[in-house]
Amino acid sequence: MATRLKEVDAVVVGLGWTGGILGKELAEAGLKVVALERGAMRTSEKDYAVPNIRDELRYVIRHDLMQNTARDTLTIRNNPSQEALPMRRLGSFLPGEVVGGSGVHWSGHTWRWTDMEFKVRSHYEERYGKSFIPADMTISDWGITYAELEPYYDKFEHVAAVSGKAGNLRGQVQPGGNPFESPRQREYPLPPLATILAGEMFATAATNSGYHPFPRPTANASRAYTNPDGAHFGACQYCGYCQRFGCEANAKGSPHMTVIPIALRNPNFELRTYSWVTKVLKDSDGKRVTGVSYTNVLNGEEFEQPAGMVLLCAYAINNVHLMLLSGIGEPYDPVAQTGVIGKNYCYQTGASATLFFEGRHFNPFMSAGGTNVTMDDFNINWEFDRAPHSFVGGYNVAAGFNTLLPIGYRPVPSGTPQWGTAWKAATAKWYQTAMNIAASGSVMGNRYNYFDLDPTYRNAFGQPLMRMTFDYKANEHKMGQHAANIVNNIARSMDPTKLNPAVARTQPWTVVPYQSTHNTGGTMMGTNPHESAVNKYLQSWNCHNLFVVGANVFPHNSSYNPTGPVGALAYWTADAIKDRYVKNPGPLVPA
Amino acid sequence: MMGDALRAAGLAFAFAFVMATRPSGAGGDAGRGQKFYEECIACHSLERGVHGIGPSLHGVFNRRAGELSDYRYSPALKRSGIIWTADTLDAFIADSQQFLPANRMPYAGMPNAADRADLIAYLQQVAK
Repeated sequence: MATRLKEVDAVVVGLGWTGGILGKELAEAGLKVVALERGAMRTSEKDYAVPNIRDELRYVIRHDLMQNTARDTLTIRNNPSQEALPMRRLGSFLPGEVVGGSGVHWSGHTWRWTDMEFKVRSHYEERYGKSFIPADMTISDWGITYAELEPYYDKFEHVAAVSGKAGNLRGQVQPGGNPFESPRQREYPLPPLATILAGEMFATAATNSGYHPFPRPTANASRAYTNPDGAHFGACQYCGYCQRFGCEANAKGSPHMTVIPIALRNPNFELRTYSWVTKVLKDSDGKRVTGVSYTNVLNGEEFEQPAGMVLLCAYAINNVHLMLLSGIGEPYDPVAQTGVIGKNYCYQTGASATLFFEGRHFNPFMSAGGTNVTMDDFNINWEFDRAPHSFVGGYNVAAGFNTLLPIGYRPVPSGTPQWGTAWKAATAKWYQTAMNIAASGSVMGNRYNYFDLDPTYRNAFGQPLMRMTFDYKANEHKMGQHAANIVNNIARSMDPTKLNPAVARTQPWTVVPYQSTHNTGGTMMGTNPHESAVNKYLQSWNCHNLFVVGANVFPHNSSYNPTGPVGALAYWTADAIKDRYVKNPGPLVPA
Repeated sequence: MMGDALRAAGLAFAFAFVMATRPSGAGGDAGRGQKFYEECIACHSLERGVHGIGPSLHGVFNRRAGELSDYRYSPALKRSGIIWTADTLDAFIADSQQFLPANRMPYAGMPNAADRADLIAYLQQVAK
């Protein structure tokens, strides 16, 4: 029998970037907030300090900051004709656990997604006609605009200490920045990180090919910084332990050293760790949610936490799982093409080349999460004509280093034996001489890429696992081929001693090896309840006191990392709740 | 043994270098130094017993390095025998790995001697 607790104004499920932002903002607005985090408390001083943090085995190979697949995982398949099997080891993507969530172990790349994403269907239909979009490509406009989000992007960039160079200030293109970005009102809070050799060489080659390279915007503080909330950042030390690790110098913008400690000092805010939410509870007519059920994972004790409002702020995939487990909204059916919960799961694609330069010393052990030079000529550049290549979306191309550690990083030219003396000699010979050029590409929604509940497998709480059905489609294959050609052309222009060329993906997607933790969709946002799960304020169309916050609301995935719009949307939603919803509870957009 | 000898040599070298080129910490501008403390504050508080990634700087002057029992120091710092003064802090802040190899402070250093003097003057006011 679950213990029923005293009602609070808002319960936050999951305490990473979105839960931290919403928890802090709503507590400051006077609401009583309880945050339920399934993982443990973690702090920079106790957990991420030198020397213990510099442990590739613990954090990269054994996934110390990630979810435990023995407790809950996904079942995976490529298409509906297959039987899905449980993912027993994390591989392709790495959802975080612990206070701070994936905001602890991210690299910091912070992009502003533009109207090229938010108005994807209308833009492509207008320019190329309706028939350009394949019949099984389920893309739609998001219902929000760049202009609406701009102040919130700005807010998140200043909270997270993003280092970068503006490419477009109030409509004026700026030298040194990304000329294709949408106008921003002001510069980044911090100048770009130092450019490393691989980035310099790529920038020269890309410029010589007529492209427009720029330093990647990233929440790695290029110098000491105090954010508008008074949170202090040290300067990034280029220590090489960024992705998968908490920052040893408090230089990476993370919720556990910004919004969360501020929320924790507020008497309106309470955090309960080791609290695993199993269900969102609804009232009898299903029009409102009434709270959540959760289990203390240390002792199995069950609780019911009544709340005036529920904010799902877990990792994107887990938010979708909770919606399906709670029976909120109609589950998506790819055959009948009805329902929305689970629809439009999207991932990312890419193609990368490794270049070897005898005599060069790239010092790959020395990097930040975002020591990276990028070009968007085939991404948010609408001048790039997709018609001859017949794909929707785009890709960015980048070079640089991020967390290349001795167990995992052993670049060798193709044809090198994969083990034994010859392999060892080759890793020693080539380690210092290698750099990558990588394309990262978007993935559009497809009728047969989706989530639902698995009919067979269950998690530690006896609940159905969520089933992921995903594969790359012809659109991604065509884009991957284009990207591989561009990457290889740039690579060959640099005249490397050896080149492992980029190869477009044509094989079915698999859950190994690691590819990207940028999983999107499943509770997509949109303009109406027939085609989306939440409105532009991330408010459930079914239950107006339920908000579902995270990349799970993205109707498709771009080539960019998702945290920029995830953070911006969290602030946008916080304002909508504080300024409008609390004063007049009900749907913020008429259905 | 060899390591200790090298370390001692490095220390002596660092001192010599510092003494020859640096204005004394006491001559700094504490007002200006407050600005430079932003480079430290993400890890070092000024409150007694409140440790971040680095130890509290409360009462740091004339304290033996590695002395606080509730902070986990590197072995290098604990065995260093350093007494924190304006001079030793100056050398440490300038280039901590050269001054004391294998210490754990993730900080690249403050190269400008005048900035360091200002910072130390500020610390002399507030780290009491």
